[in-house]
Amino acid sequence: MRTGDYKQTYGELVALIDSPPVWLWSAVLLLALIAAPYLLNSYALSFLMIILITTTGALGLNILTGYTGLISLGHVGFLVTGAYAYAVLVSKYHMPPLVGFLGAGVVPALASLIVGAPSLRLKGLYLAITTLAFSFIINTVILEMRWLTNGARGIQVQRPEILGISFDSDAAFTYLCLVVAALTLFATLNIRRSRVGRAFVAIRDNDTAARVMGINLHAYKLYAFVTSAFITGIAGALYGIYLSFVSVEGFPFLLSIEALAILIVGGLGSALGAVLGTILIVLLPEATRVAFSLFSAQMDATFTTGAQELKSMLYGLVIILFLRFQPRGLVGAWHDIKRAWVHWPLRY
Amino acid sequence: MQYLIQLLISGLAIGAIYGLIAMGFAVIYKSTGLVNFAQGEMTMITAYIAWTISTTVSGNVFIVAIGAILAAVVLGLVIERLVMRPMLGEPVFATVMVTIGLAVILRSAINFVWDAYPHALDIGMGRGIVHLGGIGLRTGQIAVIVTLLALLAAIWAFFRYSKVGVAMRAVASDDRTALLMGISATKVHALAWAASSVIAGIGGVFFALSYDLSPAMFQLGLKAFPATILGGLDAVLGSGLGGLLIGITESLAGGYLSSGMKEVAGFAMIIVVLMVRPFGIFGERDIERV
Repeated sequence: MRTGDYKQTYGELVALIDSPPVWLWSAVLLLALIAAPYLLNSYALSFLMIILITTTGALGLNILTGYTGLISLGHVGFLVTGAYAYAVLVSKYHMPPLVGFLGAGVVPALASLIVGAPSLRLKGLYLAITTLAFSFIINTVILEMRWLTNGARGIQVQRPEILGISFDSDAAFTYLCLVVAALTLFATLNIRRSRVGRAFVAIRDNDTAARVMGINLHAYKLYAFVTSAFITGIAGALYGIYLSFVSVEGFPFLLSIEALAILIVGGLGSALGAVLGTILIVLLPEATRVAFSLFSAQMDATFTTGAQELKSMLYGLVIILFLRFQPRGLVGAWHDIKRAWVHWPLRY
Repeated sequence: MQYLIQLLISGLAIGAIYGLIAMGFAVIYKSTGLVNFAQGEMTMITAYIAWTISTTVSGNVFIVAIGAILAAVVLGLVIERLVMRPMLGEPVFATVMVTIGLAVILRSAINFVWDAYPHALDIGMGRGIVHLGGIGLRTGQIAVIVTLLALLAAIWAFFRYSKVGVAMRAVASDDRTALLMGISATKVHALAWAASSVIAGIGGVFFALSYDLSPAMFQLGLKAFPATILGGLDAVLGSGLGGLLIGITESLAGGYLSSGMKEVAGFAMIIVVLMVRPFGIFGERDIERV
């Protein structure tokens, strides 16, 4: 009988996948995702696209908030910077989309250096407030730089064509999002098990102790900021392409809250949690709408008129309920279930 | 010169509103150690309740004022009891995230309970214009500045001399020792939430008097943030004065630079303040022991 996980070497401890069934299920999931664009109708496909794009963004925030423990309330600022970098490079200056994606990563990363470098003196709440301020300032900067960004009029963005492959159809664009999300997931999992990732977690758990252990706090906090902004920027570019129109209104402050809600619901500091959280948070408004419309048509009408408000109310409610009753998120719940399953009928 | 004085005065008037809300932030931070991200929304709800009273019950100033204050007290107590008290003893990150969740819920709730259109709070005063040496002033603007100064004095006396005020300071500085001295921390927290809700609510009602009520009013909370950071998160009086400074800065930036700068002047100031003096002008530097 398996009574626990006995890891004997360091390699086993940091292995990405530690048991054959997990390999099997991951492969099944990947195959399902590859088949999905052919099987789903366009309505369901749009949800899949949103989930993949949001996963990328949530994984980006997870590096900063989940691993390193630095709260950012202004991640939508990096999202919008990435989207604009892509839109300006590709739609305005007709660069190849790959250059656009690179720019969508690099520009927010540079912006994060500007915000991050002075913010490093700050901790917790204060950092949350500076990032919040950043996201408002960046919106004004974008609106004021009319010669580059068209101000409030926004920029039209076409679906890209990369290396001769056109990503114009929904199915093809879903594949692009899938590739980016999978690469991001793989990258964050690998960061987590590297020296840098361990330093991030050490800073989160106790920064004074981490410093005593010889971790250069400033450098590693900046790494976290830059990596996180890079990934978030690319998610922003994808989101801009999905919307096919980049404007300041397309990236409301609510997205920052949504990203934090995803991390809390999924379980802070876990890549799996970011993925699970994204699925729940993206599908929650739709699931609630369907559930309520079963009861009465009037409820359904309320949902269509006040969709945005109901969505934000749901996010708020989910944040509060999870923090209150399941602070470790879905991942924590999953671990509890697994343990109960293995040890049943014993408690532990 | 005339223009400058006009800008300064309108800056002071809006700054006094920021100051009131910033004091709301500081009262909660001082006694519970957390930043209440739902402050702007609580302010807005109090203002909306005042408007409802003025349109349905009576437009009498005293009835509206008493009704709004009672509503603010109830709002603060209910939020503390239902949402914040269960989170007692949880990490700061969790409790602050709860206030963010609360903010989102309250903000959307307003769109359902009331509507998305702007309304004028009309209680027969506050919009009259007084001329002082060639400068036009709304009576509401004068009233809010006077109220802020009066509240500043009252709160200073409250924390300095009253038994409850001293108890609140004790809980803020060391809640465990305060508990051992026989102070009920939960009562102090409840009181802080009620007081904060009332102080910020007064700011909200004044805002509605001089300008208009609309669901975008929650941004007042974001605008008051710089004020409380500037004054010091744990300095109630400092936050009030910080509000005046931020109001003037905004007004000058809007008058001499551009309207876009007006929106972000406060936030730009936050970043500068946090770089130079993260604990604010009047705040206390906290020293971390390992």
